[in-house]
Amino acid sequence: MDTTRALILRRHSLLLGGAVAAAAVAGAGCSRGPDDEQRASSSSPPPTGRGFHGATQTGVATPAHAHSLAAAFHVLARDRAELAEALRDLSSSVQLLVEGVYPPDRDPAMPPAHTGVLGAVSVPVEATIAVGASLFDDRYGLADRHPRELVTMPFLANDRLDDAWSHGDVLLTLAADRPDAVLHGLRQLMRATRRTLSLHWVVDGYSRPDAPGSVAGRTQNRNLLGFKDGSANLHVANDAEMETFVWIADGDDQPWAVGGTYQVVRLIRLLVERWDRTALTEQESIIGRDKVSGAPLGLDAEEADPEYGDDPTGKRIPLDAHIRLARPRDAVTERQRMLRKGFNFQKGFDGAGLLDQGLAFVSYQRQLADFLAVQQRLAGERLEEYTLPFGGGFFFVLPGAQDSDDWLGRSLLDA
Amino acid sequence: MFARIATVFVFAISPAACSDDGADVGESASSGSEPGSGSGSGSASGLASQDLSGSTEDAVILSAVDEYRTYVHDEVSTLVDKTTVFTDAVRAGDIDAAKAAFAPSRFHWETIEPIAGLVEQIDGAVDARVDDFANETDPAWTGWHRIEYLLWEQGDVAAAVPFADQLDADLATLRDQLAGLELPPAAVALGAAELVEEVSEGKITGEEDRYSHTDLWDFAANIQGARKVNELLTPAVQQRDADLVVEIEDGFLRVENGLEPYRDGAGWKPYSELTDEDRAQLAAELADLAESLSTVPGTLGLS
Repeated sequence: MDTTRALILRRHSLLLGGAVAAAAVAGAGCSRGPDDEQRASSSSPPPTGRGFHGATQTGVATPAHAHSLAAAFHVLARDRAELAEALRDLSSSVQLLVEGVYPPDRDPAMPPAHTGVLGAVSVPVEATIAVGASLFDDRYGLADRHPRELVTMPFLANDRLDDAWSHGDVLLTLAADRPDAVLHGLRQLMRATRRTLSLHWVVDGYSRPDAPGSVAGRTQNRNLLGFKDGSANLHVANDAEMETFVWIADGDDQPWAVGGTYQVVRLIRLLVERWDRTALTEQESIIGRDKVSGAPLGLDAEEADPEYGDDPTGKRIPLDAHIRLARPRDAVTERQRMLRKGFNFQKGFDGAGLLDQGLAFVSYQRQLADFLAVQQRLAGERLEEYTLPFGGGFFFVLPGAQDSDDWLGRSLLDA
Repeated sequence: MFARIATVFVFAISPAACSDDGADVGESASSGSEPGSGSGSGSASGLASQDLSGSTEDAVILSAVDEYRTYVHDEVSTLVDKTTVFTDAVRAGDIDAAKAAFAPSRFHWETIEPIAGLVEQIDGAVDARVDDFANETDPAWTGWHRIEYLLWEQGDVAAAVPFADQLDADLATLRDQLAGLELPPAAVALGAAELVEEVSEGKITGEEDRYSHTDLWDFAANIQGARKVNELLTPAVQQRDADLVVEIEDGFLRVENGLEPYRDGAGWKPYSELTDEDRAQLAAELADLAESLSTVPGTLGLS
């Protein structure tokens, strides 16, 4: 106990010495390295991006981060007022994460106000709140607020949905440049809502973000099949694309929902051992792209239009290739686009010794019908032999908080 | 379960983790990890590993500690009496009477578990679960849960007799040792949080009374014991943070109301009757109360 007592005394003497900030973070780490030096500097970096307040939440139309996490919860609030309280608390915590600042320090005799995982200086963490169809059942009197298209994710092509990994009343999506920041964010959000949010499932993983200003139509990101993923994705910096394909506008849906968007999460296990035993030519024919360059088969550039008009019978790119089914590039289907921000995950291995790896497919779209139309075209594709969708759900990303009087969920719950 | 409790210990002693030689950590963390030592058994108190050196001159707190000491002694007396009913039934070979007396005998242990756990060797001897031992036949595994296993799983009341005798002897030792044990104010203040943590981190899974499914008796006792500590400390907390008093009272009411549907006469329904949703609801209320109670020692200047 002597060393403990000595340390307590040391902490108190620091306090007495006026180094309040330093003492308050003393519990955050034991290193004698850079953290200690940083303690003398300000407690947080300046916020990045556009800031928390705005018509939309910040975590959607922003560039992908290297590390992501999705966590679904059951809401246990007893009534609408408690649900509102939970969302207000959640909203405050989200704001701190997005702005990359810590909550105010507490007396060191109290449990610390944050995890301490990030050390003396916080970093921004994108965090978004979305709600599932089940929140609009009879518990909170929200039936009349139901987003027009929001349903519990139905059985889609090839699914083996596991209840333990599917759906939820609330979905939190977190993203940051560091894995520790994502886990810190989850813990901060959960401690703000212990009584009202009960964890249902959580999955985390990584992707390879593209540098700002990278060429449209090219990506560095690859899924665990080894193929580029996102070459033909929407561009978050393109406001017109975001308005056309992502954000709910006036007149689209429920009045409260303007500035929101439909979010789809599909947890897809990839049968990687079998894939790794498949000939390269077969893999490329299933996807429709060159595995290394990402170029549509028979073409040179990743960003090239696949020119299906020149290949009506699928000699170059098979008619049932993944990219051709997903986006046939005709007048009708070009209106069915979505912003994809998926990430790769791995969660151990199964009883047969096979790796449990896959893709947490995440997409944001103005109309859920567009996602469903794409899914319908993909049903029965050859890639299904290597995929096993087992969870996820359909959610609706709440509109942003406009100003400091506003909070995420206010427009949904206010009369 | 043990791993999870150990994590709690490490957080609880985190100031020591920054000490230069780390000796305190090694000692505290390893004492419970040796199979059979029992001191870290899933149901053991975390108090034995915590820094309880915080002291106070505050007359309101000191008077609460005095009253609590009386409460603990009363509980231990009742514990010994109720356990004798249980062990007598075992010795009489009456398995039905023994089963009926099992949960009531544990109740007054669970109300004061963090304090009783300060007498570490007794905690390990009377309340350890099989997880801390090689297997169900490990002779070092003694106490309530060994007897529970023999009664419910093996239906062998005769085999339980030596363990019943041992339980009586261990609780007599506990009573004697507690009579002379100094009760640090910090232990009292931490005790309420510890009792709730106990339920919310471990017992919520139903692993405590896994053969008899009488977990709700233990829950109710833990909450009742935490209630008592809180009631005694409330005047002191009120002087410093009136909002916290309201928040904690609200938390207790939610937990108690949450348990109410499972009451069954003078006792409680089998925990196995609760659905996953029921358990998630209880877990959330408990976790919320644990968050509130975690600030009490700091508020009282005892951490």
